[in-house]
Amino acid sequence: MGTTTIRILRVAAVIAAMGSLVVTAQQAEAPQVSFQDLRDGLKNPTRWLTYGGDYGSQRHSPLTQITPQNVQRLTPQWAFQTETLGKFEATPVVLDGVIYITGPEDTGWALDARTGRQIWRYHRDLPNGIIACCGRVNRGFAAMGDRLFKTTLDAHVVAISMKSGAILWDSVMENFRNGYSGTPAPLAFKDKVVAGMAGAEYGVRGFVDAYDIQTGKRAWRFYTTAGPGDPGYRTWQGTDAKAWEHGGGSTWTTGSYDPEQNLIFWGTGNAGPDYNGAEREGDNLYTASIVALDGDTGQMRWHYQFTPHDVWDWDSTQVPVLADVTIGGQPRKVVIFANRNGFFYVLDRVTGKLIYGKPFIQTSWAKEIRADGRPMLLPGSLPTEEGARVCPDQSGGTNWMSPSFDPALGLLFVTARDSCGTFYSWQDEYKPGEGFRGGAVTRLNEVQHAALRAIDVATGERRWEFPYTAQSWAGVLSTASGLLFAGSSGNLMAFDARSGKNLWHYQTGSALYAGATTYMLDGRQYVLMPSGTTLTAFALPEAAPAEGR
Amino acid sequence: MRRRWSIPIVVALWLIAEGVALTQPPGARAQNAGVARAQARVTKNPLEGNRDAIRNGGAMFRTRCAGCHGPDARGYVGPDLTGLWALGVSDDRIFETVREGVPGTDMPAADPSRVPDRDIWQVLAYVRTVAASTPPLALTGNADNGARIFQSTCRTCHMVNGSGGQLGPDLSRIGSGRPRAALTKKIRAPSDNIRPGYEPVTLVLSDGQRIRAVKKNEDEFSIQVIDMRQRVQGYVKANLTEVANDKQSVMPAYGPDQLSNGDLDDVVSYLATLRGPDSGRR
Repeated sequence: MGTTTIRILRVAAVIAAMGSLVVTAQQAEAPQVSFQDLRDGLKNPTRWLTYGGDYGSQRHSPLTQITPQNVQRLTPQWAFQTETLGKFEATPVVLDGVIYITGPEDTGWALDARTGRQIWRYHRDLPNGIIACCGRVNRGFAAMGDRLFKTTLDAHVVAISMKSGAILWDSVMENFRNGYSGTPAPLAFKDKVVAGMAGAEYGVRGFVDAYDIQTGKRAWRFYTTAGPGDPGYRTWQGTDAKAWEHGGGSTWTTGSYDPEQNLIFWGTGNAGPDYNGAEREGDNLYTASIVALDGDTGQMRWHYQFTPHDVWDWDSTQVPVLADVTIGGQPRKVVIFANRNGFFYVLDRVTGKLIYGKPFIQTSWAKEIRADGRPMLLPGSLPTEEGARVCPDQSGGTNWMSPSFDPALGLLFVTARDSCGTFYSWQDEYKPGEGFRGGAVTRLNEVQHAALRAIDVATGERRWEFPYTAQSWAGVLSTASGLLFAGSSGNLMAFDARSGKNLWHYQTGSALYAGATTYMLDGRQYVLMPSGTTLTAFALPEAAPAEGR
Repeated sequence: MRRRWSIPIVVALWLIAEGVALTQPPGARAQNAGVARAQARVTKNPLEGNRDAIRNGGAMFRTRCAGCHGPDARGYVGPDLTGLWALGVSDDRIFETVREGVPGTDMPAADPSRVPDRDIWQVLAYVRTVAASTPPLALTGNADNGARIFQSTCRTCHMVNGSGGQLGPDLSRIGSGRPRAALTKKIRAPSDNIRPGYEPVTLVLSDGQRIRAVKKNEDEFSIQVIDMRQRVQGYVKANLTEVANDKQSVMPAYGPDQLSNGDLDDVVSYLATLRGPDSGRR
C-alpha cells in the first residue's frame, strides 16, 4: 500500500468521523422516539409516549412521589387554555419536557411541560360537511421518530413534525362525505402507524388501517365487516344482500399491541343500522368484537365477538388491556376488556379464547356468557316498534374512557354505570352520508347509577366501588404508590387503589372526557388533566427554600 | 258569568301555541327556507295511510316526540296533537313546524342532516291514525278570576313576566305548551312528576338544623340549592350530616279542599293565556 493511498484513507476516515459527528449532533437535537422506547412504555417516567401509556394500555405509572399520604397537598401548577370548544378527550404525548396534545376541531399543541407555555399550534382547515355523530373530537397523537401522527375529522391520517407542527404527509383514509371521520389516537410500532375511524351511525364499512411512517402510504387495511371470500361473510344474511357494505363496525378507540406476538388488538364498533337487524341477520362479523391482527400484514390471527348480531349500539371500542396474570393458579397472557354491553371479559391473548365473562353492571339482555364464548340471550331484549326495555342503555356499562390496571394489586379500575333504556327499531334506508340507525333509545330514569369500580381480574369479582352523583366519561390512571386518579362532575379525584377511599379532589369546572396522565420532570411528579378548554398540571408544592438562601 | 270560548278563539290560541309557524301564510316559511324547497313542496302527506310508514312513524314518535307530547299524542308537557287535523291544520304546515321547531319553546327544529323528510312524514302518518275527528274542548274557566287566584296563591313561588318568586319554574310561557290536563295534574298532584332542576331535598346541618330546599346542582362533595326562603346557597357535604332526596315536591298539592274545581278551571284558563312577555296579561 503506497503513501498516497494511506493518506487518502486517512482523509476519508477523518471525513467519515466528522460526518458521524454531524449525524450525532443532529440526532441529539431531534426528540427521537424509537420502537424500543415505545416497547419500554412508562419505564422512563419522564415520558408518556402512547395513548394507553404502554403498548398494553395499562395506564399504570411506576411513579411514587405522589402517595396516598401526601396527595391532599396536590395543587395546580399551571393551566393551558386551548380556546377551543368541544369535548376535550385527548391523551397527551409527553417527551423530553414537551407535551403534545390534540383538541377538538382538529387542533393540536406542543407545550412546555414545565410551564404550560405554547411552543406551536396545529390547526387543520376543515371542509364543510364533516359528519361526526358524537362531537368533533380527537383523542390524541401517536409518536415515532421525530414525528407525531393523528387522525382528522375529514378522515385522513397526517404526520406532523414534533419541532414545528408542520404537516409531513397527509393520507386519505376514506371520503368523509360518506360518513367517515377520524377521531382516535393512532398507534405507532416498528415502521407503521395504525389508525381507526368512526361513522357506524352513517352506514360506513369499518376498517383498521396501517400506514408507512416515512411515506404515509397505506401498508394494509383490515375491514371489520366480512365481505365475499371471508369466512365471516356468511354471518351477513338478511333482507339486504349488500348489508356488509354498510354494516358499521367502526374502530374509533385506540387498540393495544403485543410486540412478542407482533399482534395488534383493536375493538370494533356497533353493526349498522344500529337498532334494526332485519337486513343483516346473523352474527355480523367482525362488528362488536376484538380482532387480533398481524402487525406486518393486517391478517387476522383471531377474533372474539362480544355482542353477536348487535342491535343495541354497543360498540366494542373500549380499550383492550394486555396483562400477564395468574388465573386459577395458572399464569396467563390475557386481554382484559370491560365491554359497553355490561360484561367484563378476560381472554387468552394468544388464542383469543374466552377465559371468563361476568357482568360488572346490571344487565338484562344476556343470562350469562357461556363457556363457548357466546352470550345466552334473554327473551324480550331485541328492539321493537313498541319498545323493549334493556339494560344497559345504548351508552353502555362503560365506553371509550380508558380503564387502568394495577399489576401489583391485580385490579382493573373502570368508570362504570348502571342504566336501562327502551330500545325502538324501525326500517331505515341506507344512503351514503346519511344517518342510518334504524331506531332510537329513550333512557329510563328508574336506574341511573354511576361509579368507579375495582374488579379483581383473577375472579371477575368487584372489590370496591366509589359511587358518582352523575354519569362520568373520565378515564382512569393508577400509580405504583397505590393511588388512583379518576373523576366525575368536573372533579378530578384521587383514591386509595386498595380501598376506593376518596383522598383528594379538585373541581376543574367542566365535565371530564379524558383520563389523567403523569410524568416526572426536574424531580417533580406532575399529573395532567384535560377538562373543558383547559389542560391543568398538578404537583406537590416545592419544598420551601432553606433559611438564609 | 263565565264566558264561553268559541271554537275560532280556541283555534287561534292553538295556532299561537304552535308559534309563528302556523300563523304565517302557508307559503311564507317555505320561501324563507329557499326557493328550491318551496318548489319541491309537498302539501299532503305522501305516506298517509301507508302501513309501513305508520309502523315506523309510531316507533319514531315514541322515541322522539312522546317525551313531550305524551305516549298517546294527547299532550304532556307539550301540546295535544290529536286535534290538529280537526282544527283544519294542513299536513305541510305541521311538517314545517316539525322541521323548523317553535322558537322560544322546547320544541326543537329537526336538523335535515339527521332527520330526513321521510321520517317526518312517517311520524305524521302515525299521528294521523290517533287523531281525533273533533277539535279539543274549549277552556271554560274565567281567566280574570284565575289571575286573581294566581296572584294571591302561586306568585310567591312562581314568576310571570319578571314578577314573582323563583322557588318554582317561571310560568311566563306556560300557556304556549302545556295542555290543560297537564296543568291540572301539576296543580292537584305536583309530586307525580318533578321537573329536573326542581328536585326537593332536605339538608341536615351538623347542629341538627334541617333545611328544606330545591336542588339546583350537586356533585360528590357539594350541593347547591334554593331554600324555602328563596335564598340561593351552596353547602359542602362534609359539613352536613345528611342529604336526603325527598319524594314530595316543595309545591303543595292543591286538592279540591284548597282549590275548588271551578277555581282550578279559572287558574288553568289564566295559565293558558301566558305565552311570553308579549302576551299582554301580567
